[in-house]
Amino acid sequence: MFRSSREDWGFQFLINGFLLIVLILILIPLWRVIMTSLTPLDVYMRGGTPLIQMPWEWSFAAYDQMLTHPSFPRATLNSIIITVCGTALSLFLTVPLAYALSSRTLPGRKIIIALILFTFLFHVGLIPTYLLVAKTLSWTNNLLAIIVPPAVGVTNVLVMMRFFEGIPEEIKESARIDGANDLQILWGIVLPLSKPILLTIGLFYAVHYWNEFFTPILYLNDQNLQPLPVLLRNILIGQNFSEYVDYDVSRAASIESLKSAAVLLTMLPMVLVYPWIQRYFTKGTLLGGVKE
Amino acid sequence: MRKPIQIALLLIVLTLIATACAAPTPAPAPTQPPAPAPTKAPVAEPTKAPVAAPTIAPTQPPAAKPTEVPKVVDIELWAQATSTQAPAPPDDWVGYKTIREKLNINLKYVIIPTGADGETKINAAAAANALPDFFQAVSTTNARNKLIDLNKQGLIAPVDDLLKLMPNRVKTHYNDPSSLALAKLDGKQMGFVEAPNLPKREGLVIRKDWLDKLGLKMPTTIDELFIVAKAFTEKDPDGNGKNDTYGLGGFFDGTWGQGNRFAFFFGAYGVPDLWDWDNTANFGLSVRNPNFYRALVEFRKWNEAKVIDPDWATINRDEFRIRWPQGRYGIMWEDFCALACVANYPKFDNNFPTGEWVSLPAMKSNSGKSYLNNYGSVGAFFAVSKKAADAGKGPAIAKLLEWFASPEGYYLMGFGVEGVNYKVDKNGAVTTDGLADATKAWNHESMARFTQMRNQLIYDNNPNEVLARYPDFVTDKSKKPMSPMAFYKFFSGQPWQDSTAGNLIVNPANRADLQRFYNENFQAFALGTKPLTEASWAEFLKALDDRLNAAKWETDTRKILQDAGALKK
Repeated sequence: MFRSSREDWGFQFLINGFLLIVLILILIPLWRVIMTSLTPLDVYMRGGTPLIQMPWEWSFAAYDQMLTHPSFPRATLNSIIITVCGTALSLFLTVPLAYALSSRTLPGRKIIIALILFTFLFHVGLIPTYLLVAKTLSWTNNLLAIIVPPAVGVTNVLVMMRFFEGIPEEIKESARIDGANDLQILWGIVLPLSKPILLTIGLFYAVHYWNEFFTPILYLNDQNLQPLPVLLRNILIGQNFSEYVDYDVSRAASIESLKSAAVLLTMLPMVLVYPWIQRYFTKGTLLGGVKE
Repeated sequence: MRKPIQIALLLIVLTLIATACAAPTPAPAPTQPPAPAPTKAPVAEPTKAPVAAPTIAPTQPPAAKPTEVPKVVDIELWAQATSTQAPAPPDDWVGYKTIREKLNINLKYVIIPTGADGETKINAAAAANALPDFFQAVSTTNARNKLIDLNKQGLIAPVDDLLKLMPNRVKTHYNDPSSLALAKLDGKQMGFVEAPNLPKREGLVIRKDWLDKLGLKMPTTIDELFIVAKAFTEKDPDGNGKNDTYGLGGFFDGTWGQGNRFAFFFGAYGVPDLWDWDNTANFGLSVRNPNFYRALVEFRKWNEAKVIDPDWATINRDEFRIRWPQGRYGIMWEDFCALACVANYPKFDNNFPTGEWVSLPAMKSNSGKSYLNNYGSVGAFFAVSKKAADAGKGPAIAKLLEWFASPEGYYLMGFGVEGVNYKVDKNGAVTTDGLADATKAWNHESMARFTQMRNQLIYDNNPNEVLARYPDFVTDKSKKPMSPMAFYKFFSGQPWQDSTAGNLIVNPANRADLQRFYNENFQAFALGTKPLTEASWAEFLKALDDRLNAAKWETDTRKILQDAGALKK
């Protein structure tokens, strides 16, 4: 018994030690990014980013430059609209699709899954997508061009389908005996039991939409529609052309500080959301992958 | 109780999707019928930039004839922005209003991204036959090649007839026949080549305070420069007691071989460029010239003596521009504005108030002719889409370009509203002195959105313009008077090798492989990881031909240049 405890302790020590090293490896670059974003320009130009900097020495000039940009509120709002609407639409389409495919009695189920997998394996190229979105649908300068094309993710459908398959058939059967149709079963029974997968897949979609960068460049000519990642990129590129700066620009932050601030600003919403749904996260992905 | 709430939530989400996605689509389609100008002109908000003021320079002659039929033409223009971090002009911008009222043109200006993203946007639009009416042909490698591609696809229209409609602009912007010829394809003018952003703007500079401290003379030859660089590296020129300085700093810019930053070194041997422009009799790659080998031997000597920052092959421009204001280098190659403009120099001045950079002339060697570098930059390439030409929009585009070059258009698009954003002094120079609100000055960062087209389509590098763009100033820290133009004048006055015809050269199909092989070997020779002897050099030249077909590229290039009249047959 004692021996077993010692082995357990040793195992736990090894695991915790390993995890601690992993944590440090993750924290060091993150810490450096935070410090770089807060390093005053004069300190940075003298010797780069110090490893530790006292809070009273911090400079928020990089954040100030980003947040006070005239387009920042509009770009943030655009990103929120894209993320909220995109995630809602994605879940709205993914859930019924995954639910239907989780039913083994669905006629042509294998063919439908094969067709869905086909789009996963052979991704349609840029030009056909552009032709469809810009020419056929005329969605240039329309947020639908950003929201609709990636609304259904194949991987997400399959993960959710596996999760739904894991819900005991007996529960659905009893509901059917009580007179419920499939929509009622989905809405009244399956969805309340599927919070983990809804939140997990919802997060996947939300992260995708929040980081969406290339398609806005392609389809949104109107700068008032550009989302936050595009604005941050434009600010950073502008700093790169310092030899062409012929206007009286007040440079309070280094380009590295601006880059770091941009990284942190972009990841902040997701960092805030993640702890709230973390407890569902592992459960959601694991349950989706395990089949009895 | 729960069910109605869930249904209500679902309805709210669906409504949100429907409304949020549909709402922000205010931009008019290019082909929509134009509304009459007076009803489209928005009321300027009091908090908006001053350029929204209803009046413009009153002394300018009207561009459109009063008797002209008031048919409004929609023109969609795609171009890169001068200040990417600044937004596009607002819908109620006085520029749009004036263009609509004076030219009967409903201009829609779309800013396209820089780099590969911008090229992809153009490519996608081209593939969908959805190119805008008038656009900048952007490319990460060669803008002329982009024009050639679009021409092959039949997506752009000749502009020979349009040039005749803009006599003033031809004088101010298209006055260099060799530049304009770059857009001549199959005997037709398939685009416009705009003025470059100040050619010959980079140069070699040295820390004079270090020279004085170590009692060294200003070097004029590569040998003398080596002695100075060695002293800067080894004799603690900043006096901080640390071995933390390098004689020469630079970085590889990703082009070919020595890149732009060390081209002065090879310029001292008469071969600053990839191509040997002086060797008209047997034109080819510079590596064939024995002087290139001599320069490389010397460059390797510098590397082995560790007088060049050894990170030059791996750091990028950002890192380089962090290092020199930190006082790491005594000699470097830099852009005059990146060095001495008010937006850049204070970083160095704050760290070293007694520091002083001065210009160096083109270094000489014992190999005959010497150059500071080569120059061949041309401005942006613009083209008219075939679709626009078929729709009869060509003359309207010409009218717009001509107006951009007129006094009214030039000042409004390049500097803003006179009296609000700028003033013209008695010598005709643009100034911001005496403006009621300094934050409305044309060169204030917040005003950048109103002059976004200036570098692409407006500026023509006339002396008054250049003076306005790069003004003298006094540094905050050391109270030192700085003149960016003094650096520019010195740099541009040095001997430069003309490589403008290089824009005609078409990349070979295996460019990426050839360039990789060339650069890897160059760096191996330069950094000493590969023996540099006449035998190993000959082996490298042979491999260029045998494995990568460089000789064929040279033959093809010679023919292209000869056919274009840039090289004697």
